[in-house]
Amino acid sequence: MPTQSNQPLPDGYKLLDYRIDSVLSCGGFSIVYLAYDVNDQPVAIKEYLPSHLVLRREGDVLPSIADDHVATFRYGLKCFFEEGRSLARLSHPNVVRVLNFFRANETVYLVMRYERGRTLQEHIQLRRGAISENFIRHVFAQLLNGLREVHTNRLLHLDIKPANIYVRNDGTPLLIDFGGARQTLAAEGDGPGKKMLKPMYTPGFAPPEQYRDRQRLGPWSDIYAVGATIHACLAGMAPQPADKRMQDDKYQPATRLWAGKYSRQLLETIDWCLELNHLQRPQSVFGLQKVLLRQREPMVRSPAGLLGAMQSRLLRFAGALGASSKA
Amino acid sequence: MKFSIFQESRLGARKINQDRVGYCYSRDALLMVVADGMGGHLNGELAAQIALQYLTELFRGEARMRLGDPARFLHHGLNDAHEAILDCVRTRNLPEAPRTTCVACVVQDGVATWAHVGDSRLYHVRDGKILSQTRDHSKVQWLVDTGQLREEAASRHPERNKVLNCLGGSRPPQVDLSHRNRLADGDALVLCTDGLWGALTPGMLASVLSRKTLRKRLPTLLDLAQARAGRGCDNLSVVAMSWTEPGATLVDTSTRTLELDEFAHESSAAARMRPKDRDASGDAGAPADTATHPIDRERAGAEANPGYLSDEEIERAIEEIRSAIRRRTPPGAR
Repeated sequence: MPTQSNQPLPDGYKLLDYRIDSVLSCGGFSIVYLAYDVNDQPVAIKEYLPSHLVLRREGDVLPSIADDHVATFRYGLKCFFEEGRSLARLSHPNVVRVLNFFRANETVYLVMRYERGRTLQEHIQLRRGAISENFIRHVFAQLLNGLREVHTNRLLHLDIKPANIYVRNDGTPLLIDFGGARQTLAAEGDGPGKKMLKPMYTPGFAPPEQYRDRQRLGPWSDIYAVGATIHACLAGMAPQPADKRMQDDKYQPATRLWAGKYSRQLLETIDWCLELNHLQRPQSVFGLQKVLLRQREPMVRSPAGLLGAMQSRLLRFAGALGASSKA
Repeated sequence: MKFSIFQESRLGARKINQDRVGYCYSRDALLMVVADGMGGHLNGELAAQIALQYLTELFRGEARMRLGDPARFLHHGLNDAHEAILDCVRTRNLPEAPRTTCVACVVQDGVATWAHVGDSRLYHVRDGKILSQTRDHSKVQWLVDTGQLREEAASRHPERNKVLNCLGGSRPPQVDLSHRNRLADGDALVLCTDGLWGALTPGMLASVLSRKTLRKRLPTLLDLAQARAGRGCDNLSVVAMSWTEPGATLVDTSTRTLELDEFAHESSAAARMRPKDRDASGDAGAPADTATHPIDRERAGAEANPGYLSDEEIERAIEEIRSAIRRRTPPGAR
């Protein structure tokens, strides 16, 4: 975590109808608090507070924003709104549920349902990689339901990674942090956004088309990240970043690295998702899901050559258009 | 009663005009109204429309020739306009009350009386100087009044659009009523929305508004405000009149030709009222221009001015998200 110079709101602080309990996490873009609502139900509140633009000192509630940062700060708000918009449209047990959205303290807040559990990242750290195939299949089969819902709404997540997958104590997963839209915004030409939002990929999880060729973003882009995430469950770390892979691909097929330890079908699925050429990956979540659910069967790889792949891509062209233009 | 009157309402850089302006006069009384429907709330323009319509109708009902008591008319008129908005919320089953600012002025017997709620303003100009003006019911004005903000800094304050008092809000409006202001020959009364005054200095407003030049100069003033506001330009609207003492020569409007029971009126709104602002049920019930195409508008806004997000846009985005949350189907119902 980068040095966080911003002070969080004090514990016990009354924010609208909520009472801040404690800090759940801090990032460069926001702080997430555990808070309680009027009915004493726990909620997670995300506060927009880009640490390189605003400063909140010890004992203050209002952050101070330098005059020349005001426009950029507001530009960044768009990204936060984008996340709010995306989440507000989605209603799915495997997608974090947003409960409220409001303005206060010269910034904005996103209130989400609080869930008990831990991130997949923490699971990986605890078990140093070695996560069982059953766990993986169980978590991802459900997670992909959530991702399907995202894609059905013509949205892309664009930041799927272990830290953004939350596993409830009952083992059901939840897709969190829809801040990925900021990357789309960062790529938009000149303007104040340039100043503030350097392209923020998560190296290792972002597909090649997220670094360039952004018009090629589509469901297959999130699928690359899903592949990288499953890969991280096995390896304990992310695969080589896609931009590096484009120059000098050191990716070692999962089928070779973990042969015998996991089913061949699962390993082939990982390699398939991690194809650099987006046309050669599973083109839809549904396609990927079918494979994950079809346990222990010999996997049939898409027979499609370039032609077939292009056909299937054309078929999904409309969906991709809607999804990639959301910013 | 003789006066020269001018009104104009412009879109600015916005997609819709939520401002409403109008005037209405009988032989002995003149009413001018400016209302600025509030962005960030549903149907701001609906509230502005109701306020304008309500006041002009009330005026026609009460002013056979003259109003009994202009101050009383304004005080009750604005409060009742607030109720009219809430009534509309009930009959149309709107999820939230639309809100609007409002400034209204009555001229009768050579005396001007005005009342306002919010940050639409009235300036009383004499000899190129502002004689008096309304005091905004806004957060920045409050900060200035309580010594927390310098007057000069108010125009740059991030919350300069925050209005503390309005028609249609959850609390009843606090109608701010002026004294009786006797008009002198050549005096101008200017009622305008923040889209106009917010983009100009007080000096600019006053200097342009001398008598004889109203009709000529006001369009220039609007141009100037638009140029200064640039791509973030709000709707800008104005009704202004200059007063001619009996006996003076330059007259644009004389009420003398009106029959005793006759009224003349002009408003920016009638033609713009949509036949159906809202379908009251279900998901499709989003108001026609606040939520059904939010993303298109957002995108258009971004093209017009990449980067900058105005206060109003922020409020609108938040409201959009909040209404999406409210509308969303519960997980079990899908």
